[in-house]
Amino acid sequence: MSGQADGARIELQKKAKGERPAYFSDPAIDKILSITMALAGEVAVMRDRLDTVERLLEGGGPVTQEAIEAYRPDPSVREERDAIRERFLENILRIVHQEREELARKAEERAPYGEAVQLVEAL
Amino acid sequence: MEPIELKSQYRHALLPEPSSEELSRQDFVKSLKFHLASTISTGNKNAFDGRAARRFEKAEGRPPETMHDVRRAMQGDPYFNFWSALQRNSQEMMWKSVQMPVERQLGDLIERAAGDEGPGSLTLDPDVAVPAYHTAVDIHCMPGGYHTEFTENDVANGAVYDRAVYIYAMGRMGPFNSDIGDTAIALIKSRFPDLKPRRILDMGCAVGHSTLPYCDAWPEAEVHAIDVGAPVLRYAHGRARSLGYPVHFSQQNAESTRFPDGHFDLIVSHILVHETSARAIRAIMREARRLLAPGGVVLHGETPPYRDLPAYDAFMLDWDTRNNNEPFWGASHEIEPARIAAETGFDPDKAFEAYQPSAFEAAEQERTKVFQGGDFGGGGAWYFWGVQK
Repeated sequence: MSGQADGARIELQKKAKGERPAYFSDPAIDKILSITMALAGEVAVMRDRLDTVERLLEGGGPVTQEAIEAYRPDPSVREERDAIRERFLENILRIVHQEREELARKAEERAPYGEAVQLVEAL
Repeated sequence: MEPIELKSQYRHALLPEPSSEELSRQDFVKSLKFHLASTISTGNKNAFDGRAARRFEKAEGRPPETMHDVRRAMQGDPYFNFWSALQRNSQEMMWKSVQMPVERQLGDLIERAAGDEGPGSLTLDPDVAVPAYHTAVDIHCMPGGYHTEFTENDVANGAVYDRAVYIYAMGRMGPFNSDIGDTAIALIKSRFPDLKPRRILDMGCAVGHSTLPYCDAWPEAEVHAIDVGAPVLRYAHGRARSLGYPVHFSQQNAESTRFPDGHFDLIVSHILVHETSARAIRAIMREARRLLAPGGVVLHGETPPYRDLPAYDAFMLDWDTRNNNEPFWGASHEIEPARIAAETGFDPDKAFEAYQPSAFEAAEQERTKVFQGGDFGGGGAWYFWGVQK
Protein backbone atom coordinates (compact mmCIF):
# COMPACT_ATOMS: atom_id res chain seq x y z
CA MET A 1 0.00 0.00 0.00
CA SER A 2 1.38 3.38 -0.91
CA GLY A 3 1.72 6.02 1.76
CA GLN A 4 3.89 8.87 2.81
CA ALA A 5 7.24 8.65 4.50
CA ASP A 6 6.74 9.08 8.23
CA GLY A 7 8.65 12.34 8.24
CA ALA A 8 6.21 13.90 5.78
CA ARG A 9 3.08 12.82 7.63
CA ILE A 10 0.63 15.65 8.19
CA GLU A 11 -1.40 15.34 11.34
CA LEU A 12 -5.06 16.26 11.09
CA GLN A 13 -6.89 18.12 13.83
CA LYS A 14 -8.18 15.65 16.39
CA LYS A 15 -10.78 17.62 18.33
CA ALA A 16 -13.68 19.44 16.72
CA LYS A 17 -13.80 23.10 17.68
CA GLY A 18 -16.64 23.74 20.09
CA GLU A 19 -17.37 22.88 23.69
CA ARG A 20 -18.02 19.17 24.22
CA PRO A 21 -21.28 18.56 26.14
CA ALA A 22 -20.94 16.91 29.55
CA TYR A 23 -23.34 13.97 29.81
CA PHE A 24 -22.58 12.88 33.37
CA SER A 25 -22.16 14.67 36.68
CA ASP A 26 -18.56 13.49 36.97
CA PRO A 27 -16.38 14.26 33.91
CA ALA A 28 -14.46 11.06 34.63
CA ILE A 29 -17.55 9.07 33.59
CA ASP A 30 -17.59 10.82 30.20
CA LYS A 31 -13.96 9.89 29.74
CA ILE A 32 -14.43 6.29 30.85
CA LEU A 33 -17.34 5.80 28.44
CA SER A 34 -15.25 7.13 25.55
CA ILE A 35 -12.37 4.83 26.47
CA THR A 36 -14.72 1.84 26.82
CA MET A 37 -16.30 2.42 23.41
CA ALA A 38 -12.89 2.90 21.79
CA LEU A 39 -11.80 -0.41 23.36
CA ALA A 40 -14.97 -2.10 22.12
CA GLY A 41 -14.03 -0.89 18.65
CA GLU A 42 -10.55 -2.35 18.97
CA VAL A 43 -11.97 -5.70 20.10
CA ALA A 44 -14.18 -5.71 16.99
CA VAL A 45 -11.12 -4.91 14.85
CA MET A 46 -9.24 -7.86 16.38
CA ARG A 47 -12.26 -10.14 15.90
CA ASP A 48 -12.24 -9.28 12.18
CA ARG A 49 -8.52 -9.94 12.00
CA LEU A 50 -8.93 -13.31 13.67
CA ASP A 51 -11.71 -14.12 11.23
CA THR A 52 -9.35 -13.21 8.38
CA VAL A 53 -6.67 -15.53 9.76
CA GLU A 54 -9.18 -18.37 10.11
CA ARG A 55 -10.40 -17.92 6.56
CA LEU A 56 -6.87 -17.82 5.19
CA LEU A 57 -6.06 -21.01 7.10
CA GLU A 58 -9.17 -22.68 5.78
CA GLY A 59 -8.24 -21.61 2.26
CA GLY A 60 -4.89 -23.35 2.69
CA GLY A 61 -2.87 -20.36 1.48
CA PRO A 62 -0.02 -18.69 3.34
CA VAL A 63 -0.95 -16.84 6.53
CA THR A 64 1.47 -13.96 6.46
CA GLN A 65 1.06 -10.35 7.53
CA GLU A 66 0.97 -9.50 3.86
CA ALA A 67 -1.82 -11.99 3.15
CA ILE A 68 -3.80 -10.72 6.14
CA GLU A 69 -3.39 -7.14 4.99
CA ALA A 70 -4.31 -7.96 1.41
CA TYR A 71 -7.44 -9.89 2.39
CA ARG A 72 -10.67 -8.07 1.54
CA PRO A 73 -13.92 -9.62 2.78
CA ASP A 74 -16.43 -10.24 0.01
CA PRO A 75 -20.05 -9.09 0.50
CA SER A 76 -21.16 -12.36 2.11
CA VAL A 77 -18.26 -12.32 4.59
CA ARG A 78 -19.03 -8.68 5.37
CA GLU A 79 -22.63 -9.62 6.07
CA GLU A 80 -21.48 -12.36 8.45
CA ARG A 81 -19.20 -9.89 10.19
CA ASP A 82 -22.03 -7.35 10.44
CA ALA A 83 -24.13 -9.99 12.19
CA ILE A 84 -21.28 -10.83 14.58
CA ARG A 85 -20.80 -7.15 15.42
CA GLU A 86 -24.54 -6.74 16.01
CA ARG A 87 -24.48 -9.60 18.55
CA PHE A 88 -21.31 -8.17 20.09
CA LEU A 89 -23.01 -4.79 20.56
CA GLU A 90 -26.09 -6.51 22.01
CA ASN A 91 -23.80 -8.17 24.52
CA ILE A 92 -21.62 -5.30 25.62
CA LEU A 93 -24.55 -2.87 25.77
CA ARG A 94 -26.76 -5.38 27.65
CA ILE A 95 -27.02 -3.10 30.68
CA VAL A 96 -28.48 -0.35 28.48
CA HIS A 97 -30.91 -2.77 26.82
CA GLN A 98 -31.95 -3.95 30.27
CA GLU A 99 -33.00 -0.43 31.18
CA ARG A 100 -34.72 -0.04 27.81
CA GLU A 101 -36.76 -3.21 28.39
CA GLU A 102 -37.68 -2.05 31.88
CA LEU A 103 -38.79 1.34 30.53
CA ALA A 104 -40.82 -0.37 27.81
CA ARG A 105 -42.69 -2.34 30.47
CA LYS A 106 -43.37 0.84 32.43
CA ALA A 107 -44.52 2.70 29.33
CA GLU A 108 -46.87 -0.17 28.51
CA GLU A 109 -48.34 -0.19 32.03
CA ARG A 110 -49.02 3.47 31.63
CA ALA A 111 -51.38 2.87 28.72
CA PRO A 112 -54.92 3.37 30.03
CA TYR A 113 -57.01 0.22 30.53
CA GLY A 114 -59.59 1.66 28.14
CA GLU A 115 -57.13 1.19 25.29
CA ALA A 116 -57.13 -2.55 25.90
CA VAL A 117 -60.94 -2.57 25.83
CA GLN A 118 -60.94 -0.62 22.56
CA LEU A 119 -58.36 -2.95 21.13
CA VAL A 120 -60.23 -6.16 21.85
CA GLU A 121 -63.53 -4.70 20.74
CA ALA A 122 -62.01 -3.78 17.41
CA LEU A 123 -60.44 -7.22 16.88
CA MET B 1 -18.44 -0.49 -16.54
CA GLU B 2 -18.78 -3.23 -13.93
CA PRO B 3 -22.12 -3.44 -12.16
CA ILE B 4 -22.16 -1.08 -9.18
CA GLU B 5 -22.12 -2.91 -5.88
CA LEU B 6 -24.90 -1.27 -3.88
CA LYS B 7 -23.77 -2.30 -0.40
CA SER B 8 -20.40 -0.53 -0.55
CA GLN B 9 -19.17 2.93 -1.32
CA TYR B 10 -18.00 3.19 -4.93
CA ARG B 11 -14.20 3.22 -5.08
CA HIS B 12 -13.49 6.20 -7.30
CA ALA B 13 -9.90 7.34 -7.79
CA LEU B 14 -9.84 9.73 -4.82
CA LEU B 15 -11.47 7.57 -2.21
CA PRO B 16 -8.83 6.79 0.45
CA GLU B 17 -8.00 3.10 0.55
CA PRO B 18 -8.29 1.81 4.13
CA SER B 19 -6.00 -0.89 5.46
CA SER B 20 -7.80 -4.01 6.62
CA GLU B 21 -7.76 -2.78 10.22
CA GLU B 22 -8.91 0.69 9.23
CA LEU B 23 -11.81 -0.82 7.30
CA SER B 24 -12.76 -2.93 10.33
CA ARG B 25 -12.68 0.16 12.55
CA GLN B 26 -14.99 2.00 10.13
CA ASP B 27 -17.29 -1.01 9.91
CA PHE B 28 -17.52 -1.04 13.69
CA VAL B 29 -18.60 2.61 13.74
CA LYS B 30 -21.21 1.86 11.08
CA SER B 31 -22.52 -1.09 13.14
CA LEU B 32 -22.51 0.99 16.31
CA LYS B 33 -24.44 3.78 14.65
CA PHE B 34 -26.97 1.34 13.27
CA HIS B 35 -27.35 -0.36 16.64
CA LEU B 36 -27.90 2.98 18.36
CA ALA B 37 -30.41 4.17 15.77
CA SER B 38 -32.38 0.95 15.43
CA THR B 39 -32.57 -0.28 19.02
CA ILE B 40 -31.00 1.88 21.74
CA SER B 41 -32.66 5.05 20.46
CA THR B 42 -36.14 3.52 20.60
CA GLY B 43 -35.77 3.30 24.39
CA ASN B 44 -35.86 7.08 24.57
CA LYS B 45 -39.55 6.99 23.68
CA ASN B 46 -40.15 4.53 26.49
CA ALA B 47 -38.14 6.71 28.89
CA PHE B 48 -40.34 9.60 27.85
CA ASP B 49 -43.70 7.79 28.06
CA GLY B 50 -42.92 5.72 31.11
CA ARG B 51 -40.92 8.14 33.19
CA ALA B 52 -40.08 11.64 31.97
CA ALA B 53 -43.59 12.61 30.83
CA ARG B 54 -45.04 11.41 34.15
CA ARG B 55 -42.54 13.44 36.12
CA PHE B 56 -43.28 16.49 33.98
CA GLU B 57 -47.02 16.08 34.47
CA LYS B 58 -46.64 15.78 38.23
CA ALA B 59 -44.53 18.93 38.41
CA GLU B 60 -46.46 21.06 35.91
CA GLY B 61 -50.00 19.79 36.37
CA ARG B 62 -50.31 19.13 32.61
CA PRO B 63 -48.82 16.69 30.14
CA PRO B 64 -45.90 17.80 27.95
CA GLU B 65 -47.25 19.07 24.65
CA THR B 66 -44.67 20.99 22.67
CA MET B 67 -41.18 20.04 21.62
CA HIS B 68 -39.90 22.41 24.30
CA ASP B 69 -41.99 20.62 26.92
CA VAL B 70 -40.47 17.33 25.78
CA ARG B 71 -37.00 18.81 26.09
CA ARG B 72 -37.66 20.00 29.62
CA ALA B 73 -39.12 16.63 30.52
CA MET B 74 -36.20 14.67 29.05
CA GLN B 75 -33.42 16.89 30.33
CA GLY B 76 -31.58 14.92 32.96
CA ASP B 77 -33.31 11.62 32.12
CA PRO B 78 -30.57 9.03 32.67
CA TYR B 79 -31.50 6.86 29.69
CA PHE B 80 -31.60 9.81 27.32
CA ASN B 81 -28.29 11.09 28.69
CA PHE B 82 -26.61 7.75 28.24
CA TRP B 83 -27.90 7.35 24.69
CA SER B 84 -26.74 10.92 23.95
CA ALA B 85 -23.29 10.15 25.29
CA LEU B 86 -23.09 6.99 23.14
CA GLN B 87 -24.34 8.88 20.10
CA ARG B 88 -21.79 11.66 20.58
CA ASN B 89 -19.05 9.07 20.96
CA SER B 90 -20.12 7.29 17.78
CA GLN B 91 -19.84 10.58 15.91
CA GLU B 92 -16.34 11.25 17.30
CA MET B 93 -15.25 7.68 16.59
CA MET B 94 -16.52 8.04 13.03
CA TRP B 95 -14.32 11.06 12.32
CA LYS B 96 -11.33 9.37 13.90
CA SER B 97 -11.84 6.19 11.90
CA VAL B 98 -11.87 8.07 8.61
CA GLN B 99 -9.03 10.43 9.51
CA MET B 100 -6.57 7.57 10.02
CA PRO B 101 -6.37 6.34 6.40
CA VAL B 102 -6.53 9.91 5.08
CA GLU B 103 -3.57 10.96 7.23
CA ARG B 104 -1.62 7.93 6.07
CA GLN B 105 -2.05 8.62 2.35
CA LEU B 106 -2.64 12.37 2.17
CA GLY B 107 0.33 12.96 -0.14
CA ASP B 108 -1.07 10.52 -2.70
CA LEU B 109 -4.55 11.95 -2.46
CA ILE B 110 -3.27 15.48 -3.09
CA GLU B 111 -1.36 14.23 -6.13
CA ARG B 112 -4.36 12.36 -7.50
CA ALA B 113 -6.58 15.42 -7.08
CA ALA B 114 -4.08 17.70 -8.80
CA GLY B 115 -3.81 16.03 -12.23
CA ASP B 116 -5.05 17.95 -15.31
CA GLU B 117 -6.82 15.07 -17.01
CA GLY B 118 -10.59 15.08 -17.30
CA PRO B 119 -13.57 17.34 -17.78
CA GLY B 120 -14.82 20.26 -15.69
CA SER B 121 -12.85 22.96 -13.92
CA LEU B 122 -11.77 24.24 -10.53
CA THR B 123 -11.46 27.91 -9.59
CA LEU B 124 -10.20 28.69 -6.11
CA ASP B 125 -10.28 32.16 -4.59
CA PRO B 126 -8.26 32.59 -1.41
CA ASP B 127 -9.99 35.96 -0.85
CA VAL B 128 -13.31 34.24 -0.09
CA ALA B 129 -13.74 34.68 3.65
CA VAL B 130 -14.98 31.61 5.50
CA PRO B 131 -18.18 32.80 7.21
CA ALA B 132 -18.46 32.88 11.00
CA TYR B 133 -21.18 30.19 10.92
CA HIS B 134 -18.49 27.79 9.72
CA THR B 135 -15.68 28.95 11.99
CA ALA B 136 -17.57 29.37 15.30
CA VAL B 137 -17.65 25.61 15.86
CA ASP B 138 -16.62 22.72 13.60
CA ILE B 139 -19.94 21.68 12.07
CA HIS B 140 -21.17 18.16 12.87
CA CYS B 141 -17.96 17.70 14.91
CA MET B 142 -15.77 17.25 11.83
CA PRO B 143 -12.41 18.47 13.10
CA GLY B 144 -11.45 21.48 10.98
CA GLY B 145 -14.77 21.74 9.14
CA TYR B 146 -14.92 22.08 5.36
CA HIS B 147 -12.42 24.91 5.26
CA THR B 148 -9.30 24.13 7.33
CA GLU B 149 -6.17 23.41 5.31
CA PHE B 150 -3.59 21.27 7.05
CA THR B 151 -1.04 21.47 4.25
CA GLU B 152 -0.56 22.98 0.80
CA ASN B 153 -3.16 22.01 -1.82
CA ASP B 154 -4.91 20.11 0.93
CA VAL B 155 -7.76 17.71 0.18
CA ALA B 156 -7.80 16.01 3.61
CA ASN B 157 -11.18 17.11 4.83
CA GLY B 158 -12.74 16.40 1.45
CA ALA B 159 -11.56 12.81 1.77
CA VAL B 160 -12.61 12.66 5.40
CA TYR B 161 -16.08 14.01 4.58
CA ASP B 162 -16.62 11.69 1.60
CA ARG B 163 -16.05 8.53 3.61
CA ALA B 164 -17.73 9.81 6.79
CA VAL B 165 -20.96 10.66 4.96
CA TYR B 166 -21.12 7.06 3.77
CA ILE B 167 -20.63 5.75 7.31
CA TYR B 168 -22.97 8.33 8.85
CA ALA B 169 -25.72 7.39 6.41
CA MET B 170 -24.82 3.71 6.91
CA GLY B 171 -24.72 3.35 3.16
CA ARG B 172 -28.36 4.33 2.77
CA MET B 173 -27.52 7.26 0.49
CA GLY B 174 -26.12 4.89 -2.12
CA PRO B 175 -22.63 3.98 -3.39
CA PHE B 176 -22.05 7.61 -4.46
CA ASN B 177 -23.73 9.26 -1.43
CA SER B 178 -25.96 10.90 -4.01
CA ASP B 179 -29.41 10.17 -2.60
CA ILE B 180 -30.38 13.76 -1.77
CA GLY B 181 -29.43 14.94 -5.26
CA ASP B 182 -31.17 12.00 -6.94
CA THR B 183 -34.28 12.58 -4.86
CA ALA B 184 -34.27 16.34 -5.56
CA ILE B 185 -34.10 15.64 -9.29
CA ALA B 186 -37.08 13.29 -9.12
CA LEU B 187 -39.05 16.02 -7.38
CA ILE B 188 -38.00 18.76 -9.82
CA LYS B 189 -38.87 16.61 -12.85
CA SER B 190 -42.31 15.79 -11.53
CA ARG B 191 -43.09 19.27 -10.24
CA PHE B 192 -41.58 21.33 -13.08
CA PRO B 193 -41.81 19.04 -16.13
CA ASP B 194 -41.22 21.95 -18.50
CA LEU B 195 -38.06 23.16 -16.82
CA LYS B 196 -35.14 22.68 -19.23
CA PRO B 197 -32.23 24.22 -17.38
CA ARG B 198 -29.38 25.62 -19.48
CA ARG B 199 -27.28 26.24 -16.37
CA ILE B 200 -27.56 24.67 -12.93
CA LEU B 201 -25.94 25.86 -9.70
CA ASP B 202 -25.38 23.65 -6.65
CA MET B 203 -24.73 25.78 -3.57
CA GLY B 204 -22.61 24.44 -0.71
CA CYS B 205 -21.63 21.40 -2.76
CA ALA B 206 -18.87 20.08 -0.42
CA VAL B 207 -17.36 17.10 -2.30
CA GLY B 208 -20.13 17.07 -4.93
CA HIS B 209 -22.13 14.06 -3.68
CA SER B 210 -25.41 15.60 -4.82
CA THR B 211 -23.95 17.63 -7.69
CA LEU B 212 -23.03 14.84 -10.10
CA PRO B 213 -26.55 13.44 -10.67
CA TYR B 214 -27.55 16.78 -12.24
CA CYS B 215 -25.12 16.07 -15.10
CA ASP B 216 -26.98 12.81 -15.78
CA ALA B 217 -30.43 14.33 -15.35
CA TRP B 218 -29.81 17.25 -17.74
CA PRO B 219 -26.83 16.31 -19.93
CA GLU B 220 -27.21 19.47 -22.03
CA ALA B 221 -26.94 21.78 -19.02
CA GLU B 222 -23.78 23.42 -17.71
CA VAL B 223 -23.39 22.39 -14.07
CA HIS B 224 -21.70 24.74 -11.58
CA ALA B 225 -21.03 24.00 -7.92
CA ILE B 226 -19.75 26.33 -5.21
CA ASP B 227 -18.49 26.05 -1.65
CA VAL B 228 -16.45 28.18 0.73
CA GLY B 229 -14.04 25.36 1.60
CA ALA B 230 -10.97 24.90 -0.61
CA PRO B 231 -10.08 21.35 0.56
CA VAL B 232 -13.53 19.98 -0.23
CA LEU B 233 -13.54 21.70 -3.64
CA ARG B 234 -10.16 20.29 -4.67
CA TYR B 235 -11.39 16.85 -3.68
CA ALA B 236 -14.77 17.37 -5.38
CA HIS B 237 -13.07 18.35 -8.62
CA GLY B 238 -10.73 15.34 -8.56
CA ARG B 239 -13.59 13.01 -7.69
CA ALA B 240 -15.91 14.38 -10.40
CA ARG B 241 -13.19 14.10 -13.05
CA SER B 242 -12.27 10.59 -12.04
CA LEU B 243 -15.92 9.67 -12.56
CA GLY B 244 -16.08 11.59 -15.85
CA TYR B 245 -18.43 14.40 -14.79
CA PRO B 246 -17.97 17.88 -16.30
CA VAL B 247 -18.71 20.07 -13.26
CA HIS B 248 -17.37 23.59 -12.82
CA PHE B 249 -16.39 23.97 -9.18
CA SER B 250 -15.53 27.35 -7.72
CA GLN B 251 -14.81 28.76 -4.29
CA GLN B 252 -17.61 31.22 -3.64
CA ASN B 253 -19.98 32.14 -0.85
CA ALA B 254 -23.61 31.45 -1.81
CA GLU B 255 -24.62 34.70 -0.09
CA SER B 256 -22.78 36.72 -2.71
CA THR B 257 -21.43 35.05 -5.84
CA ARG B 258 -19.58 36.35 -8.89
CA PHE B 259 -22.10 34.97 -11.41
CA PRO B 260 -24.04 37.47 -13.57
CA ASP B 261 -27.75 38.23 -13.07
CA GLY B 262 -30.22 35.71 -14.45
CA HIS B 263 -27.44 33.17 -15.18
CA PHE B 264 -29.20 30.03 -13.89
CA ASP B 265 -32.50 28.24 -14.48
CA LEU B 266 -32.08 25.92 -11.53
CA ILE B 267 -30.35 26.56 -8.20
CA VAL B 268 -30.22 23.76 -5.65
CA SER B 269 -28.73 23.00 -2.28
CA HIS B 270 -28.58 19.76 -0.30
CA ILE B 271 -28.33 19.90 3.49
CA LEU B 272 -26.80 23.36 3.14
CA VAL B 273 -29.49 25.42 4.86
CA HIS B 274 -28.97 24.04 8.38
CA GLU B 275 -25.27 24.86 8.15
CA THR B 276 -25.83 28.59 7.54
CA SER B 277 -27.47 31.20 9.75
CA ALA B 278 -30.71 33.19 9.99
CA ARG B 279 -29.16 36.12 8.15
CA ALA B 280 -27.17 34.00 5.69
CA ILE B 281 -30.11 31.93 4.42
CA ARG B 282 -31.96 35.16 3.66
CA ALA B 283 -28.90 36.53 1.84
CA ILE B 284 -28.69 33.23 -0.07
CA MET B 285 -32.34 33.50 -1.11
CA ARG B 286 -31.84 37.11 -2.28
CA GLU B 287 -28.76 36.01 -4.21
CA ALA B 288 -30.73 33.12 -5.74
CA ARG B 289 -33.38 35.61 -6.88
CA ARG B 290 -30.69 37.71 -8.57
CA LEU B 291 -29.11 34.66 -10.22
CA LEU B 292 -32.31 33.03 -11.48
CA ALA B 293 -33.70 33.64 -14.94
CA PRO B 294 -37.47 34.26 -15.04
CA GLY B 295 -39.29 30.96 -14.44
CA GLY B 296 -36.18 29.51 -12.79
CA VAL B 297 -36.40 27.49 -9.58
CA VAL B 298 -34.45 27.48 -6.32
CA LEU B 299 -34.79 24.34 -4.21
CA HIS B 300 -33.27 23.30 -0.88
CA GLY B 301 -33.17 19.73 0.45
CA GLU B 302 -33.28 19.13 4.22
CA THR B 303 -34.94 17.03 6.90
CA PRO B 304 -38.58 17.80 7.89
CA PRO B 305 -39.51 21.04 9.64
CA TYR B 306 -40.52 20.58 13.26
CA ARG B 307 -44.08 21.75 12.61
CA ASP B 308 -44.67 18.57 10.57
CA LEU B 309 -43.51 16.21 13.32
CA PRO B 310 -45.07 15.05 16.59
CA ALA B 311 -43.48 16.91 19.53
CA TYR B 312 -41.43 13.91 20.64
CA ASP B 313 -40.02 13.26 17.14
CA ALA B 314 -39.18 16.94 16.70
CA PHE B 315 -37.31 16.87 20.00
CA MET B 316 -35.30 13.83 18.89
CA LEU B 317 -34.50 15.37 15.50
CA ASP B 318 -33.35 18.48 17.34
CA TRP B 319 -30.64 16.50 19.16
CA ASP B 320 -27.97 17.69 16.72
CA THR B 321 -28.48 21.34 17.62
CA ARG B 322 -26.93 20.91 21.06
CA ASN B 323 -25.02 17.66 20.74
CA ASN B 324 -23.45 17.61 17.31
CA ASN B 325 -22.14 21.13 16.68
CA GLU B 326 -25.06 22.12 14.47
CA PRO B 327 -25.96 25.50 15.95
CA PHE B 328 -28.44 26.49 13.20
CA TRP B 329 -30.09 23.07 12.98
CA GLY B 330 -33.01 23.96 15.28
CA ALA B 331 -33.78 27.40 13.84
CA SER B 332 -33.43 26.15 10.26
CA HIS B 333 -36.14 23.57 10.97
CA GLU B 334 -38.56 26.40 11.76
CA ILE B 335 -38.18 28.08 8.35
CA GLU B 336 -41.45 28.77 6.53
CA PRO B 337 -40.90 28.79 2.77
CA ALA B 338 -43.63 31.29 1.80
CA ARG B 339 -42.54 33.68 4.50
CA ILE B 340 -38.86 33.61 3.63
CA ALA B 341 -39.77 33.90 -0.07
CA ALA B 342 -41.74 37.06 0.65
CA GLU B 343 -38.92 38.47 2.80
CA THR B 344 -36.37 37.95 0.06
CA GLY B 345 -38.26 39.45 -2.87
CA PHE B 346 -39.89 36.34 -4.35
CA ASP B 347 -43.61 35.90 -4.91
CA PRO B 348 -44.72 33.93 -1.82
CA ASP B 349 -47.47 32.28 -3.86
CA LYS B 350 -44.76 30.57 -5.88
CA ALA B 351 -43.10 29.09 -2.81
CA PHE B 352 -43.53 25.36 -2.23
CA GLU B 353 -42.58 22.56 0.12
CA ALA B 354 -42.78 18.83 -0.50
CA TYR B 355 -41.67 15.42 0.64
CA GLN B 356 -40.09 13.11 -1.86
CA PRO B 357 -39.39 9.42 -1.16
CA SER B 358 -35.71 8.59 -1.18
CA ALA B 359 -34.47 7.65 -4.65
CA PHE B 360 -32.13 4.93 -3.35
CA GLU B 361 -34.44 1.98 -2.98
CA ALA B 362 -31.72 -0.53 -2.15
CA ALA B 363 -31.54 0.95 1.35
CA GLU B 364 -35.19 0.27 2.08
CA GLN B 365 -34.86 -2.67 4.46
CA GLU B 366 -32.31 -0.94 6.68
CA ARG B 367 -34.23 2.24 7.21
CA THR B 368 -35.56 3.10 10.64
CA LYS B 369 -38.25 5.31 9.03
CA VAL B 370 -37.69 7.99 11.63
CA PHE B 371 -35.84 11.25 11.39
CA GLN B 372 -33.78 11.24 14.55
CA GLY B 373 -30.72 12.76 16.13
CA GLY B 374 -27.53 11.20 14.83
CA ASP B 375 -29.27 9.40 11.94
CA PHE B 376 -31.09 11.65 9.53
CA GLY B 377 -30.47 9.39 6.55
CA GLY B 378 -32.83 6.72 7.84
CA GLY B 379 -36.10 8.54 7.26
CA GLY B 380 -36.70 7.19 3.77
CA ALA B 381 -37.71 10.60 2.38
CA TRP B 382 -36.31 14.09 2.06
CA TYR B 383 -37.99 17.41 2.65
CA PHE B 384 -37.61 20.10 0.02
CA TRP B 385 -38.62 23.72 -0.04
CA GLY B 386 -38.11 26.45 -2.57
CA VAL B 387 -39.68 28.96 -4.89
CA GLN B 388 -40.05 29.62 -8.58
CA LYS B 389 -39.07 33.06 -9.85
